[in-house]
Amino acid sequence: MTDTVQHLSLLQILIATSLVVFSAIVSVFFGLKLEKQLGIAALRTIGQLFLVGYILKYVFTVHHPALVLLLIVIMVAFAAHASVSRAKRRYARVQLDAFLTLTASSIVTGFIVTGVIIQIHPWYRAQYVIPLIGMILGNSLTGISIALDQLLGDLSDRRDTIEMELAHGASAWEAARGPLADAVRRGMIPTINSMVVVGIVSLPGMMTGQILAGSDPLEAVKYQIVVMFMLAAATALGCMMITLLAYRRLFNAAQQLEEGKILRS
Amino acid sequence: MLSDPPPLLEIQGLAIAAGDVPLQRDLNLTLEPGDLLAITGPSGCGKTTLLRTIATLQPALEGTIRLRGRTPEEWGWTAFRRAATLVTQRPTLLDLTVDENLRRPFGYHIASTPYPEQRARDLMDELAVGAERLTQAARTLSVGQQQRVCLIRALLMNPIVLCLDEPTSALDPDAVGLVERLIRRLALENGLAALVVTHDPRLAAEWRPRQFVMPRAHGTREEAA
Repeated sequence: MTDTVQHLSLLQILIATSLVVFSAIVSVFFGLKLEKQLGIAALRTIGQLFLVGYILKYVFTVHHPALVLLLIVIMVAFAAHASVSRAKRRYARVQLDAFLTLTASSIVTGFIVTGVIIQIHPWYRAQYVIPLIGMILGNSLTGISIALDQLLGDLSDRRDTIEMELAHGASAWEAARGPLADAVRRGMIPTINSMVVVGIVSLPGMMTGQILAGSDPLEAVKYQIVVMFMLAAATALGCMMITLLAYRRLFNAAQQLEEGKILRS
Repeated sequence: MLSDPPPLLEIQGLAIAAGDVPLQRDLNLTLEPGDLLAITGPSGCGKTTLLRTIATLQPALEGTIRLRGRTPEEWGWTAFRRAATLVTQRPTLLDLTVDENLRRPFGYHIASTPYPEQRARDLMDELAVGAERLTQAARTLSVGQQQRVCLIRALLMNPIVLCLDEPTSALDPDAVGLVERLIRRLALENGLAALVVTHDPRLAAEWRPRQFVMPRAHGTREEAA
């Protein structure tokens, strides 16, 4: 079915640009003053996507594991930065913790999907590995960001309660268990919600892309199921790991909550 | 030859800070069983910080804290905090019933004794909160009642030293008397020692405790006799 792919010309993309122009007209009409932002956003969309397109094309052509790994490291670093910059609160080395978390969640779930389920040979086939890692990172960073925000907010806001428990002989783990569980739960909710409505309210981007590119819809569905489960696992792992790392940073060996280490972004 | 037993609580050369701001240096005090010590001093001098440091909820900048001759590390942090318990000025109760709040410390890993149900009922009556309120949602009690429930929760663990931060700030005169009589009785009968931060002249007059007057922040003062 791949021979049914409809290639887009530059002219067709330019016509699509008129849709953004329409949005700008709406902005002018209602005095929203969003024209400049819309223009910049549209230009960034074009620039960033073409840039990543050329990079991917180069990586696909060179087909070298070192290059694939380098690209993954860069993607993880950007995702770590994005996950932390979204949170309202932070602590020293939170960026490192986010990087470690995203690296672990991408490696573990990425390996299970590419190595065990899809069985890609060699493992560094960029056309599989890069998009899958990209999806893992996109979902994990959202989960991590929400979990971190929830945890740091809770540790600040519920400090009295946590210290009351510590003062009565609770271990740091016993005192922090509630906020830790709440953080993981909050971080997981968007992923669980998207699993509940997938196919009914929304058609996921990857599945839509595959169908548009001419794949059999049932084949696309199978891939999408694997991807959804992969994202759920990656988000769970990511939320759990970031909350545990934050816990280790914010409670010291004397089982004291070092709330002063939590900073507002 | 037998050496003298170590003091119940011994603090030597303690320096305390609120965050990065040093408040006091070289604080020294000792407590023996049954001692009641009132900690007074100007606002901001670090009275609450001193109690929090003794209860090991925050680190000391320097100095040592020993309970029955042993440091918190030697006790183990959770065991030490159970033996030297802090009751904060603002009542901190979980969104549970009074009974569930009182039972909470007996669910921790460190707890080695069962929840003393009858003693809890007796203390609720003795402090005029009323045992019938055990099933009530704790946060629906008045602030004064919540303050007394927090005190009961601490006492149920049989601490050796009680660190009380303004324990009567929300109590009427009758309730102040009840708390004062209970602490004095436990000091006499069980040897409970208490450190009390207070601005309440009624308490200071009734208890006639030893005084530990803290100077303004950044100063040093030895314990008053």
